[in-house]
Amino acid sequence: MGDEPLVRWHWLATHTDYLRGLLLDHAVIALLPVLIALAGAVPLGLVCARFPRLYQPLAAVFNVVYALPALAVFVVLIPYTGLATQATVMIPLTCYALAVLLPTTVDGLRAVPEPVRQAATALGYGPWRRLAAVELPAAVPYLVAGLRVAAVSSISLASVGALVGRGGLGYLFIDGFQRTFPTPIIAGIVLTAALALATDAVLLLARRVLAPWARREAVAGR
Amino acid sequence: MIRFDGAGKRHPDGTIAVEELDLTVPAGRTTVLVGPSGCGKTTLLRMVNRMVEPTSGRVLLDGTDVAQLEPAKLRRGIGYVIQQAGLFPHRRVLDNIATVPYLLGWDRKRARSRAMELLELVGLAPETAKRYPFQLSGGQQQRVGVARALAADPPLLLMDEPFSAVDPVVRAGLQEELLRLQAELNKTVLFVTHDIEEAVRLGDQIVVLREYGRIGQVADPATLLSAPADEQVAQFLGRDRGLRGLGLRPAAGIALLPAGQPHRGWTLTVDQDGRPTGWSGPGETVRQVTVYQPGLDTLRTALDSAVLSPARAAVAVDEDGRVLGLAAREAVLDALDAAGPQAVAAVAAAGDEIAGGGGRGR
Repeated sequence: MGDEPLVRWHWLATHTDYLRGLLLDHAVIALLPVLIALAGAVPLGLVCARFPRLYQPLAAVFNVVYALPALAVFVVLIPYTGLATQATVMIPLTCYALAVLLPTTVDGLRAVPEPVRQAATALGYGPWRRLAAVELPAAVPYLVAGLRVAAVSSISLASVGALVGRGGLGYLFIDGFQRTFPTPIIAGIVLTAALALATDAVLLLARRVLAPWARREAVAGR
Repeated sequence: MIRFDGAGKRHPDGTIAVEELDLTVPAGRTTVLVGPSGCGKTTLLRMVNRMVEPTSGRVLLDGTDVAQLEPAKLRRGIGYVIQQAGLFPHRRVLDNIATVPYLLGWDRKRARSRAMELLELVGLAPETAKRYPFQLSGGQQQRVGVARALAADPPLLLMDEPFSAVDPVVRAGLQEELLRLQAELNKTVLFVTHDIEEAVRLGDQIVVLREYGRIGQVADPATLLSAPADEQVAQFLGRDRGLRGLGLRPAAGIALLPAGQPHRGWTLTVDQDGRPTGWSGPGETVRQVTVYQPGLDTLRTALDSAVLSPARAAVAVDEDGRVLGLAAREAVLDALDAAGPQAVAAVAAAGDEIAGGGGRGR
């Protein structure tokens, strides 16, 4: 890259609106899929906890999806969802997030200690009610742990979407490489990291609010 | 009242948990199912609230076959306490206790004020209400478990080894508490334990179970200890059952000697209020005095007191600690004569043993 400096501050100063737009787009295409996946993983997890036979086949399907390379999936989807649309990037990211969140939800529901489960039954909870009122709230720390993994990996994967025209901060990498101009690359890395850290902080805060009873080691031990 | 009417449980793989059991659990009293692990006692307990369905026979609750009742509804009417308390980790103590009232559709305020009452009833401080279960000790958790079971005031309480996982001192406290509660509430309690000591302490009726839920003996604690049905039951009760039997007999009947009179060369010294201060003997003074209260304590305490005294005499005191008189060791054993010949034989043997071995403190 010759005598080009690592960061050109002038470029950053003149592109703040552009960077803000990319960051926002990145946040949406990376994190909305995680929220959609959460909305799917909870009911699916409850059904799997109630009917354990469903779990293995379902988990297998999502694992296979998870194994597919993101770029390949984007390309396959383009004829259906269009080039450079949010859907093209968000559909695979939703599937990836589900592949992470479904097992953590089911693990969390199963992690409720047997005496707690038995006490709930003995006090007069029916099976569904027990899942919703006892096991699901007790699984919150697990869900948050799963969300942290899913969110961070989704934020990093979303950049790949730039190759099919919709990748938020991913643009900055393509742009920088094509022009042998490191400033956008550095900006992309810093902003991606910042987004990941901020998301993680929000999730940790959510756990403290939703599960103040959870001791740190209870989750860290997993 | 609970009736097991030929109730049996055979697992799908053919193994038998409970063969076939007939048993009546009387209302308003504590019945303890006691036996080694694998005797089917927990299975029997769970047949009552349909957590286990019998494969033969029936379980009748006040004359109604429980199989005809909707499980969740049935269970809300039965208190249940288990070994590890099983408190809901995500709910504060108060809401844990209010679980069944919530399930029954009580409004929040009424459920919580009822839960506060119970918190007090089981001897927990009001500020405990806001804690989470992980912030409590094992004994406190168990108290919350009992409070939760009692919240909707069920007539029947099922307790599955509720005090087994706590240390002996805490366990003794919890047992004491249960006795106090039961004296106040008169629930029908069906209690499962493997600890015969606990069974004797808590039970009005004790059911000794063998493998496959076969009944070894059904008796009140005193009868069980003094007259075990056969060798196997006697063995299960343990070697010092005669001595433990002493713990079930009141000390009120022991003939007392005047306290001022020396006994075996030792004289009891008292302060101005008449409370014992020590034993004064030939060239020696002992400052420790073990006492018993005739109206409150048992023959076991009295004998213990006698064995530990240098004069070989127990010191009887009133509730203020003032000396009432001396009970010679022989007088304590004589008081057993009223208890029947078998008890005497057992106790005499055990008494010699303890006198020879020096005895233990309370």
